[in-house]
Amino acid sequence: MEDTAVQKKETTPLMRGIQAILVLLIGGLLGYFVYSTTVNTESNYPFKLGLDLAGGSHLVYEADVAGVDSEEVPELMNVLKDVIERRVNIFGVSEPIVQVETSSVVSGADSHRLVVELPGVTDVKDAVAEIGRTPLLEFKLVEVTEEEALFIDTGLTGRYLERAVLQFGQGNQGGLSNEPVVSITFTAEGADLFETITASHIGEPLAIFLDGEVMSSPIINEAISGGSAVISGNFTPTEARDLVQNLNFGALPLPIALVSTQTIDASLGANLLSEGVTAGVIGVALVLAFMLLWYRLPGLIAGVALLSYGALMLALFKVVPVTLTAAGLAGFILSIGMAVDANVLVFERIKEEFRSGKDSREAARSGFSRAWSAIRDGNMTSLLSAIILFWFGTSLVKGFALVFGFGVIASMLTALVVTRTLLIILPSTRKEEGFFARLLDSGTHM
Amino acid sequence: MNIARYTKQFLVAMVLIFIVAIGVVSTYGLNLGIDFTGGSLTEVSYTVAPEQAMLEEELDSLFEEGYSLRQSEDGETVGYILRSRDLSEEERETVYGVLTSVGEGGVVTRFASIGPVIGEELKDKASWAIAGVVLITICYVAFAFRKVPKPVGSWTYGGITILALIHDVLVPTAVMSVLGITFGAEVDVLFVTALLAVLGYSVNDTIVVFDRVRENLLLNEEKKTGKTFETVVEDSVKDTIVRSVNTSLTTILALGALYFLGGDTTQLFALTLIVGVLAGTYSSLFIANPLLVAASRRKKA
Repeated sequence: MEDTAVQKKETTPLMRGIQAILVLLIGGLLGYFVYSTTVNTESNYPFKLGLDLAGGSHLVYEADVAGVDSEEVPELMNVLKDVIERRVNIFGVSEPIVQVETSSVVSGADSHRLVVELPGVTDVKDAVAEIGRTPLLEFKLVEVTEEEALFIDTGLTGRYLERAVLQFGQGNQGGLSNEPVVSITFTAEGADLFETITASHIGEPLAIFLDGEVMSSPIINEAISGGSAVISGNFTPTEARDLVQNLNFGALPLPIALVSTQTIDASLGANLLSEGVTAGVIGVALVLAFMLLWYRLPGLIAGVALLSYGALMLALFKVVPVTLTAAGLAGFILSIGMAVDANVLVFERIKEEFRSGKDSREAARSGFSRAWSAIRDGNMTSLLSAIILFWFGTSLVKGFALVFGFGVIASMLTALVVTRTLLIILPSTRKEEGFFARLLDSGTHM
Repeated sequence: MNIARYTKQFLVAMVLIFIVAIGVVSTYGLNLGIDFTGGSLTEVSYTVAPEQAMLEEELDSLFEEGYSLRQSEDGETVGYILRSRDLSEEERETVYGVLTSVGEGGVVTRFASIGPVIGEELKDKASWAIAGVVLITICYVAFAFRKVPKPVGSWTYGGITILALIHDVLVPTAVMSVLGITFGAEVDVLFVTALLAVLGYSVNDTIVVFDRVRENLLLNEEKKTGKTFETVVEDSVKDTIVRSVNTSLTTILALGALYFLGGDTTQLFALTLIVGVLAGTYSSLFIANPLLVAASRRKKA
C-alpha cells in the first residue's frame, strides 16, 4: 500500500476481525432471543398484540364534566378510572387496559374519555352492563355464628349518604390520637335509620359493603343520632382516603356514556396477523434478493444488516414492549423497504469512489463519511415527524409512530455499524483487479 | 435528465398535476369511512350464508334512514358487511340478533360503532399532525441548509421541500378520491397513517438530493471549477438518481408484498403508500430540482 496516510489510520486486521465477529454475534444473539422467546409460549417477553390482531373489545366512554369545577376534573377522572378498573377486573380478563384520554388541547373541544380495552372479550354485553352499573353501598350487620359470619341487610344504603370526609383523630378524642378516620354524614332520612340500627346493636360490627365487597367493618361504639358517624378501623392514611373516595364516589363520580364500541373476533385477528407475517417475510426476501443482485458482495452485507435490523426491531417490540397492531405491522414492513436506504446511499458513494480509482477499503471509508450528512438530515426529519405523530396521534397512529421512530434509529444504527464493520474486513482491491473487484462493483454505469 | 433545459416543462407538468389532483379531490371529495363520520360496521360470517334479500327484508324494518349491506368473502367463509349509523348497546344487540337469526352458523366477527364526535376529533387531530410535520420540516431544512452557498437561500430549500411534500400527499389523496367513486374505497385512520408515512418518506427523499446539491456547491466553490448553479443541480440529480430509484424500488417491493399478501385491512394502506412513494421519488427529482433552478433564475433576474 503506497498511501501511508491511510495505512496509519487503519486498524489492524485482527481488530477488524474481532469487531466483525462481535457485530455478527450480537446480531445472532438478538435473533436467537426473538426466536426463543417466540417459540417458548411461557416466555417473559411475548409479542404484545393489539386488539385488532389478538381479538377483543375496545370501548370508549365519554364523561360528562358539565357542572364540575374544571380543576377537579383530572382527579375525578382518576377516581372514575379506579372504579371502572375494579369493575372490569371482575371479568378476569388478562391485562385489561383502562385509560383516561383527554381530547387534545389543540382541538378546542374539552372532552374527557375513558378507554377500556378487553382482550379476548368479544361479547361486550356483560362488560358494558357491568361498567355502566350503578354501584351499591350497603351497611350490613354482622352476626357471627359458630361456623361463619352472616351479613344481615339493614336497609341502609348509599342512597342515604350525603358525604364522607377524611379526618385525623384529635388526641383528646378518647384514644384516637392522630389516627385517620372517616367521617360520614347521612341525609335526614338516613340519620333516623342509622340511629335506630346503632341503638339496638351497640358493640357489634357494622360492615360497609361496596359492590358486594366488604370495605371495612367498624364496631358500633354507641347509638348515633344527628346523622353523622366516624368510622375508625386502624386505617392507614391511604386506606382511609380510598374509603372516603369509595363512599363519596360509590356512584361513578361523573356520568359516562358509551360513544364507541369495537370488537374483533380472535380468528379474524389471527388471520390478519398471519397474513401480515407472510407479507413481512416475503417483503424481506424480495428486498434481500434485489440488494444481492444489484450490489453483489456489498449487497450481501446489506442483507446481513437488514436481518440484524429486523432482529433488533423485533427484540425492541418485545422488551419495550410495543403493542403491535395491523397499522404497526404495516409500518414495520414499510420500514424494511426504507431500512436499506442508508446502505443504498453509502454503496452508491462507495461505487463512485471505487470507480474513481481508490482501493476498495479506502472507498468504503470515504463513502461512509460522505454519505453521512445525507443520512443524518434525512433521518433527522423522519424522526421529528415520528415524534410529532406520537404527540398528536390517536392510539392507533401512536403505535405506528413508535414503530416508525424506532425503525429510523435502528436502521441508521445497523447500516452504520453492521455494514461498515463487515465492509472493511473485506480484502482491499482495486477496480482493475479481476473477479473480486467485479464482486464489489455493481449496477449500471450512469 | 436535462433539468435546466426542460425546467419550464417540468414546472408546467407540476402545475398540471396540482390542478388535476386538487380538481379531482374537490370535485369528488373523499369517501370518508366511519372513523371520521361516525357510524357502525358489523361483519358477520356464516357457514351457510342466507340470501341477501332475506337479510335486507329484516334490516329494512330496523333502519329507516338507510344502511348498506355488502357480501364479503374471505377465503372459504362467506359473510356480509353491514354499515349503518352508530348504534347504542341495545341496538347493537338487536342487530346481532337479526344477523345471526338467518342462515346457518352466523357469527359476528367484527363490530365497530363510532360516535360522530370522535370522528370529528380525529379529523382535527390528523390535520394538526400534518401541519406539525410540515412546520418542523421547513424549520429543520432551513436550519440544516443554513450554510448553503448562494444563489438560493436556505428557506427556499425548506419551502421547496414542503411543496414537494404537498405534491406527494396530494397525489395519493386524488387516487383515493378516484377509487372512492369507482370502487367505493373508504378513507379510514389507516389512510391518514399512510399519508403521514408518505410525509416522512418524501422529506427524506428530497433532502438526500438537496444534500448532494449542497455538497457539490461547496466543492464547486472550493475547487473554483466555476460551474453554473444549474449545472451543479443537474450533476447532483445524476449523482443521486440511482439511489432514489433503488430505495423506492426496495420500499415498493416490501409494500407490494403487503399489498398482495397482507390481507384486506392493510391493502389500501399499502396502495396509498406505493402511490405516495412513486410520487415522492418523482417530486424529489423532477419537482424539487426544477424549482431550485427556477428560484436561482428569479434571483438573477
